[in-house]
Amino acid sequence: MEKPPRPRHEPLGDLQERAKELNCLYEVERHLGRSDAPREVILQEVVEAIPGGFQHVQACRALLVCADEEYRSGPFEPTSWVLSAPLEIQGEPLGRLSVFYLREMPPEDVGPFLSEEERLVNIVANRLSAYLFYQKLRSLQRDIEEARKANLYAPKEDWRAPIRLLRESDRSVYSRIARRMLNHLTRVGVDEARRLLVGEGGPSGEESAGEKNVPSRCFEPDGAVLMSEKPFELASRHLSGAEILRRVERWLVEDKAGYFIKILNSPRSSLPELVDGIRRFHVLISGGAGLPDSTLKSLRVSLTQRLLTEQLDFVRTAKDFMEIEDFVDLTKRLIMPPESHGKVGGKGAGLLLAHKVLQRTLRKDRPIGEVKVPKTWYLASDGLFDFVEHNDLQDVIEQKYKEIDDVRNEYPSIVRLFKSASFTPRVISGLSLALDDLGEVPLIVRSSSLLEDRLGTAFSGKYKSLFLANQGTKEERLDALMDAIAEVYASIFGPDPIEYRRAHGLLEFDEEMGILIQEVVGTRVGRYFFPAFAGVAFSNNEFRWSPRIKREDGLVRIVAGLGTRAVDRVPDDYPILAVPGKPDLRANVSVDEIVRYAPRRIDLINRETRTLETADLDDLLVECGSAFPAMDLVFSVVQDDRLRKPIDLLADPEKDELVAAFQGLLADTPFLRHVRNIMTVLQEHLHTPVDVEFAHDGRDFYLLQCRPQSYVGDSAPAPIPKDIAPQDMIFSAHQYVSNGFVPDITHIVYVDLDGYGRLETREELLSVGRAVGRLNKMLPKRQFILMGPGRWGSRGDPKLGVSVTYADINNTSMLVEIARRKGSYVPDLSFGTHFFQDLVESRIRFLPLYPDNPGVVFNEAFLKKSPNLLPEVLPEFDFLSDTLRVIDVPASAEGRVLRVLQNAEIDEAVAFLIAPAEGPRGRPESGAGAEALRKPLQYWQWRMKMAERIAEEIDAARFGVQAMYVFGSTKNATAGPASDIDLLVHFRGDDCQRRELMSWLEGWSLCLAEMNYLRTGCRSERLLDVYLITDEDIANRTSYAVKIDAVTDAARELVLGKREKSGD
Amino acid sequence: MAVKGSFNAFEMARTQFDRTADRIGLEQAARDLLRSPLREYHFLIPVRMDDGTSRVFQGFRCQHNDARGPCKGGIRFHPQETIDTVRALSMWMTWKCAVADLPLGGGKGGVVCDPHDLSAREQEQICRGWVRQIARNVGPVTDVPAPDVMTNTQHMLWMLDEYERIHGGHYPGLITGKPVGMGGSLGRKEATGYGAVYTLREALKELSLRPEDSTATMQGFGNVSQYAAKLFREMGGTVLCVSSWDQKDQTSYTFRKKEGIDVGRLTGITDRFGGIDKTKARALGYEVLGGEAWLSEEADILFPCALENQITGANVGSIHKRVKIIVEGANGPTTPEADEAIHERGIFMIPDFLANAGGVTCSYFEQVQSNMNYFWAEADVLARLDQKMTHAFSSVSEVARKRKLYMRDAAYIVAVTRVAQACRDRGWI
Repeated sequence: MEKPPRPRHEPLGDLQERAKELNCLYEVERHLGRSDAPREVILQEVVEAIPGGFQHVQACRALLVCADEEYRSGPFEPTSWVLSAPLEIQGEPLGRLSVFYLREMPPEDVGPFLSEEERLVNIVANRLSAYLFYQKLRSLQRDIEEARKANLYAPKEDWRAPIRLLRESDRSVYSRIARRMLNHLTRVGVDEARRLLVGEGGPSGEESAGEKNVPSRCFEPDGAVLMSEKPFELASRHLSGAEILRRVERWLVEDKAGYFIKILNSPRSSLPELVDGIRRFHVLISGGAGLPDSTLKSLRVSLTQRLLTEQLDFVRTAKDFMEIEDFVDLTKRLIMPPESHGKVGGKGAGLLLAHKVLQRTLRKDRPIGEVKVPKTWYLASDGLFDFVEHNDLQDVIEQKYKEIDDVRNEYPSIVRLFKSASFTPRVISGLSLALDDLGEVPLIVRSSSLLEDRLGTAFSGKYKSLFLANQGTKEERLDALMDAIAEVYASIFGPDPIEYRRAHGLLEFDEEMGILIQEVVGTRVGRYFFPAFAGVAFSNNEFRWSPRIKREDGLVRIVAGLGTRAVDRVPDDYPILAVPGKPDLRANVSVDEIVRYAPRRIDLINRETRTLETADLDDLLVECGSAFPAMDLVFSVVQDDRLRKPIDLLADPEKDELVAAFQGLLADTPFLRHVRNIMTVLQEHLHTPVDVEFAHDGRDFYLLQCRPQSYVGDSAPAPIPKDIAPQDMIFSAHQYVSNGFVPDITHIVYVDLDGYGRLETREELLSVGRAVGRLNKMLPKRQFILMGPGRWGSRGDPKLGVSVTYADINNTSMLVEIARRKGSYVPDLSFGTHFFQDLVESRIRFLPLYPDNPGVVFNEAFLKKSPNLLPEVLPEFDFLSDTLRVIDVPASAEGRVLRVLQNAEIDEAVAFLIAPAEGPRGRPESGAGAEALRKPLQYWQWRMKMAERIAEEIDAARFGVQAMYVFGSTKNATAGPASDIDLLVHFRGDDCQRRELMSWLEGWSLCLAEMNYLRTGCRSERLLDVYLITDEDIANRTSYAVKIDAVTDAARELVLGKREKSGD
Repeated sequence: MAVKGSFNAFEMARTQFDRTADRIGLEQAARDLLRSPLREYHFLIPVRMDDGTSRVFQGFRCQHNDARGPCKGGIRFHPQETIDTVRALSMWMTWKCAVADLPLGGGKGGVVCDPHDLSAREQEQICRGWVRQIARNVGPVTDVPAPDVMTNTQHMLWMLDEYERIHGGHYPGLITGKPVGMGGSLGRKEATGYGAVYTLREALKELSLRPEDSTATMQGFGNVSQYAAKLFREMGGTVLCVSSWDQKDQTSYTFRKKEGIDVGRLTGITDRFGGIDKTKARALGYEVLGGEAWLSEEADILFPCALENQITGANVGSIHKRVKIIVEGANGPTTPEADEAIHERGIFMIPDFLANAGGVTCSYFEQVQSNMNYFWAEADVLARLDQKMTHAFSSVSEVARKRKLYMRDAAYIVAVTRVAQACRDRGWI
């Protein structure tokens, strides 16, 4: 699809002028940077280069006057059409730069000159000033050097010569050096020095340290003293000539740095000035060598704060790992709007620091292999404001104060607006340079917001990251890049981030967002581009399938291709899980398990269509065969019931079954060990558990992102309250606890341990599993928990645990396995191994209970004595009433619900009764659990209202509807933002009416789903869950008919058709 | 005879045996001998774990009866093996081998552990440790183990290697379940499925029916069903529909084609776990029906080849009146309740441990070839399989006909009788 070319703000002529000015600057810079020619030659060349930057080149002349010298760009007489700027150093005039037109020219902004040209002259003048200043200092330094060398064999007095020279040539520098000398002498106890410094009437040392509440008098050293020879005379009496020279030399170097430090610390200096300063400072003084450590450290801190982030924890670590060269390298790839004051932002800073930490930590006994980072360009964080201002989009800043519905509605048009807006020329040229440097490889544009810096903020994924194929002409690539950046900018104003910020009181935080333009790690394979594999590593493991795994052992999720499939959860596909701290344990051991839970699909970039795609691994292998990078690390051949390494020459993707089990990588390479060490080192130095995104292109390992491990939603550690009344406690646990928060449980399905043990036949044991499966479909989704003995999922021997498959339990919130002591031993629990990865991907929490252990609470009385709903809900399983109990919590506990809080940090979990939607009790700071709690009322109320509306609107006669009921979470007032509305329809019509009825209800369902999305952002296909029951069902009380007039949790009848029925 | 107390597999197995013993009027000594395993070994396996610590695992081997030949039975890794389950399983192995008329007895064993908690190296140590403890009491002519729950080919090979190290020689006949090329037999993939159809073929002959005129429906489309369907087709039969479990939808569907399914094409769109791709099946013209539809289909033959307890008292009534034969490709697909109803209706039942004996027969062939150190061509394996299964079937059906017995009962009787006779022949009782 063709897109119109981006509108430029200036016509072509202007562009040519800018180009000329730019070239002029380049030329000037080039000449000044030469170290091989004498100063006169350089200045002459500079002066000759200047006219080329002006509109009317032929008629333009330049004149440089400095000290006693004059340089001209050609013979001419000065005219009145002139643009001029002074050359000065620290207020002292050095000369003047003037540019003339020989003839009268058409008027522009400043006489015949453009305002940009005026700026050009000023810039060049400044540049020349600086150049001259440095020249002077450099010559001074050389003199001192020589003097020092000569001094070895010369009498002491020769130190005077350079000092005198300094005094003559640069008075302000001299006076600063003199003051330093006096300070130094004072420090080493030369009293006279102190007197010289503060004058005769100055306070003595002890006095100035007094306790009086009166400010001490200020004594400025006499300027004349500092300019005289007295300080050095004094010095010569206490120090050797060599030492004087040595100190003076050092102070000179520091003085030079002072210029730079001033720029660095001045809040007014812009980023470009800073960058310029870094480059010059670095080149001229060899990157800080010769400066004391404290200065260097302070420099690094300031640089970090200005360029990267102000986060204290970060800065503290960065100052020990970042070197000046690193900042220089950074500035080579930093795009800044003019006068920018921005930073690189959280993501960029995090990655840089992590890389440095890894590079610079001694690793003899902790090998990490080679760790690279992909080439990255940075766009400063105030690029956003530059963009907004340039396009007059300031209104958009108000978005965050609007109603969430409006935000959601307006967001698509904001995106369109941003994508059709333009960037400033400076930024565009920077982006162009970036593209040239990166080459024609796929790129990813990531957000690097200052908000993401904040530790503990679960901001992941709220701002966009976009992939670019980056193919085609330069113009096309540049357009695509700008488009992507605009879209990332627009995402700041989307409903999710705004809602999140509102909820956490962060609305007033600066919107600044840096942009990372990073090459995508990968290789070309046919028409695709992708890495061999990628994934995420976590310092702390919340998903442990074996009691041998500790939380600190960490977790890695690996997929083939782009890491998007490991970072996000994807439906019906699984990543490979491994534990760095226990590299030999596997979640899946039998070949069946391995094959079932191996990834089947892959995300990659299609270079032909220039899009991100998801492909089937099988198809991809047939297409690209053994060109798949690192194939032997990723795939295994399934042969009978064994996995074997694919041998390149023999592997045939068409015939062999290849599975991405990563056996090669995990078993035959030190990958997991390296990852383990990387995580340990990072955690140690960043003082926080981290999560790290990585990718491997078949040759090298790349770090993509490093950030503090944030606990999102229900994987945050829940604070455990200490004041729960014993009668309200249902159970507690002190071992193998993972983080979790399970609110508002309305039903417990409890398999009684003793009852289960007493069942006599295998059929009875199996039927418990079947009953659980039925309950799984009937109970309100995610509002019940399963508790029972032993190893759930034990199909082979149901004696060991309830015989269920994942399908029978997939709607539960939590699985609790209970291990009761049997004689002399306590049986092992499965830790969910039978369907472990399914539990992980669907976030079903797991908890093992050991009721016989000291300190563990297990309120068996509540579980056994509460009324059992089983006979009503599943009458055909009545015979299991002693074994299987279905408990309606609110009905059995005076309207309260069950809440389970789990905290892995202290290895404690509690489950207790509490009134629904009660606030602070264990509510975590952030996440889905908290959001659900915050306003539960509105969800069920709105749904109830909608259900009532439907009943009002329905044409009962036409559809053969006898009655309608609502039940489930809508009726129980426990609905969440994604809940369905459960409707029961007593139907008495024929097939035709049934079809029409379902059609009509489907229409409602789709509309309600859309409305729900606008209100809550939760997408579902349909919002209505409709169950039809017939007269027969009611008579026999089968199926859902039991809910009508039920003793507990009865469905509520809705009033039908207030409106006029059409015909009868 | 209801047993008081909790469910106990061993007691259940004994009850089954007692019933059969009553029927044939077995003498007390034989009962005593066959009601319990002849020998049981319990031992400890100390293992040095990866982190340097040591752990002690419990291992065991139960040899129920070896009057007819060396014991045969699997080794399982299971976190909580109760010895009663193992005893029951070893007993069932004896009957299974006996009914298939293999010169083998029954055994079972294992180690109490969970491979999910163990690294590969630790598992290897456990396997070798198990062999070290029991090396004197297992062997090609004593007791031949095989893979079972949570054990696989690799474990078998480690055990074989350890045994050979101890005994100093090559003894591939020690263990079955080895891969082809390392002592395994060809034809293993087809064995169970083909075996079931060989018995079916004989049953059809008995009922004077022709495969060309017969239709079948199958539950499950895994290894057993796929090969059974293939052979049945080759014989001229028609498979109308198969059911399979859809992992994504977490439910089962029945795929039907009135003209008969195309086994090859359907296998092509089936995954490793027997799951048929619903969309592709539709595209190939199959009707997609509910999971239970296979049972009520109008066909001559039912093939439950999926899980146990699928034909129950509740759904036995929906079996079409045209159904004449049920072939139990799976283990225990019919509950006792349903069994009664089927018996009453006069449907011909080929019970599980006869119908799916193709697997253990092929295992036996692996053992034989290993002992000879000569390995047959696939066609030879299958031909011998045919012969053995046919013979096994005819022995049982003869008894059923003569004594007017239900096939399941007849099979048990044949098995127990053979074993008891062997004990007598040896002079044990």
